[in-house]
Amino acid sequence: MITVKNVSKKYGSFVAVDNISFEINDGEIVGLLGPNGAGKSTTMNMLTGFIEPTEGEILINGFDISKKARKAKVNIGYMPENVPLYKDLTVKEFVNYMAELKYTKKAVKKEMIKTILEKTDLTNVQNKLIKNLSRGYKQRVSMAGALVGNPKILILDEPTVGLDPKQITEIRNLIKSLSKDHTVIISSHILSEISQLCKKVIILNKGKLVAIDTPENLENKVSNSNSVLVTVEDNENKINTVINSISIIKEIKLLKENEDNTKQYMIYAKDDSDIRKILFEKLAKEGITILELKKSETTLEDAFIELINDKGGNK
Amino acid sequence: MFAVLKKELKSYFLSPIGYVFIGLFLLMASVFFYLDIVAYGITNFEYMFYSLATVLTFITPILTMRMFAEEKKEGTDQLLFTSPRSITSIVLGKFFSAVLVLVITEVLTLIYYAILRFFGSPNLLTSSVTLGGFLLLGMAYISFGMFASSITENQVIAAVVTIGFFILTWFLPDFSDIFSSLSLINMFDKFPSGQIALDEIVTYVTFTLLFISLTIIFLQRKKSVK
Repeated sequence: MITVKNVSKKYGSFVAVDNISFEINDGEIVGLLGPNGAGKSTTMNMLTGFIEPTEGEILINGFDISKKARKAKVNIGYMPENVPLYKDLTVKEFVNYMAELKYTKKAVKKEMIKTILEKTDLTNVQNKLIKNLSRGYKQRVSMAGALVGNPKILILDEPTVGLDPKQITEIRNLIKSLSKDHTVIISSHILSEISQLCKKVIILNKGKLVAIDTPENLENKVSNSNSVLVTVEDNENKINTVINSISIIKEIKLLKENEDNTKQYMIYAKDDSDIRKILFEKLAKEGITILELKKSETTLEDAFIELINDKGGNK
Repeated sequence: MFAVLKKELKSYFLSPIGYVFIGLFLLMASVFFYLDIVAYGITNFEYMFYSLATVLTFITPILTMRMFAEEKKEGTDQLLFTSPRSITSIVLGKFFSAVLVLVITEVLTLIYYAILRFFGSPNLLTSSVTLGGFLLLGMAYISFGMFASSITENQVIAAVVTIGFFILTWFLPDFSDIFSSLSLINMFDKFPSGQIALDEIVTYVTFTLLFISLTIIFLQRKKSVK
């Protein structure tokens, strides 16, 4: 359980994080989103106790991260951005050091390190020096460092940056499996990743909390303009006149002209009615060949862009 | 504290740093063993430490410059300061690991004592007092070097600040006697004469505690302004 109450972080007159409050319950998997400079990393650094908030308090399982640092920090596994690691150590030595820093009992340490190395698929490189590993492996070593000590809360800052697609899938699956018995907070630029993994999303913009909700709700919240995407072969260029003759259509926008002489349009309806049927009939009648016709979906990406443009202050 | 101490000590010997420090020190020790002792045909083990104090002034940064500067540069300070360990225990762990390297170095200089013992009878008491005083001087040096390393992420700057400060305190008494109790290296002179110099011991210990505390305060403070 993480409770953030009216937390602000100021650097002189610059406000990096502005009076944000939220709660994250046990077992939740939460995505932290925001454009660059929104205060994501600052927020994560405050959650992990790396920096102190200027105002407000952060409780980790009921313990204040500033005042009861030890009790609060034992519950946190942190994978910082850019995966900082002790490059002179071997993978095993590094994980062992992280375990010692987290007060892991000697009796369980060996077994725990073994399990974690297996979980993160590092067993075959455990005796290699970290500096000789590839980026993907380093990322996993950092992950292993966060997992050590079995913390209830995992905070992962951009865990899949710089990985190849196969590794990304692996890390995602690992995060998914971890979310069964951990509370996970992930920051990422990849929105599809967040919508796949997270049940809850926190959106920050210019230090302010813009939204906190499930990805589905956020997608529904944004103005769900009823629009249809069509690709047509229209050599005589009749589409505009056809469209203008349909009263329930508000607007037509040319998206692109393809090399094979086809054109892609976005067509917006005036109200909620489904315009696909009428489009199909009218266009076919005029001899315009429809190659593609589909309802356009709002994605988390749309929601995200709309939200940060809307409430962030400046458009 | 011991988790950090153990890892830091290991790092000194996994990287060349520990060997470079000990190697340089022993190399200079051999030179001064010959120049200060053998050349005069005497068996005063402690005599070589006057010169070695000067050597220490210049090679202390080898041990201290990376302490916090490297962590900050590599970003590993994020791992360290988000762990449940307190800043105090991290600082003390790092401090004592460097002190232990110095202790190992001093133990190795006992080779010269053994050589002298073979040819004559060096004074055990004076030698022990000298080694003890030398360790205190070293601790004071290390505490300042550690502080310098905590204020920058550039190891070279940390090293230059450290040596610069030592040289400054070295020559300060030349300007005015008021500063005589600030010159760490001049204060060392009493130990090789076999005196257990209380004033000097108190100064060294106070200086050490001051800079350990300043390092802790500075790192703590950085958390709020960072």
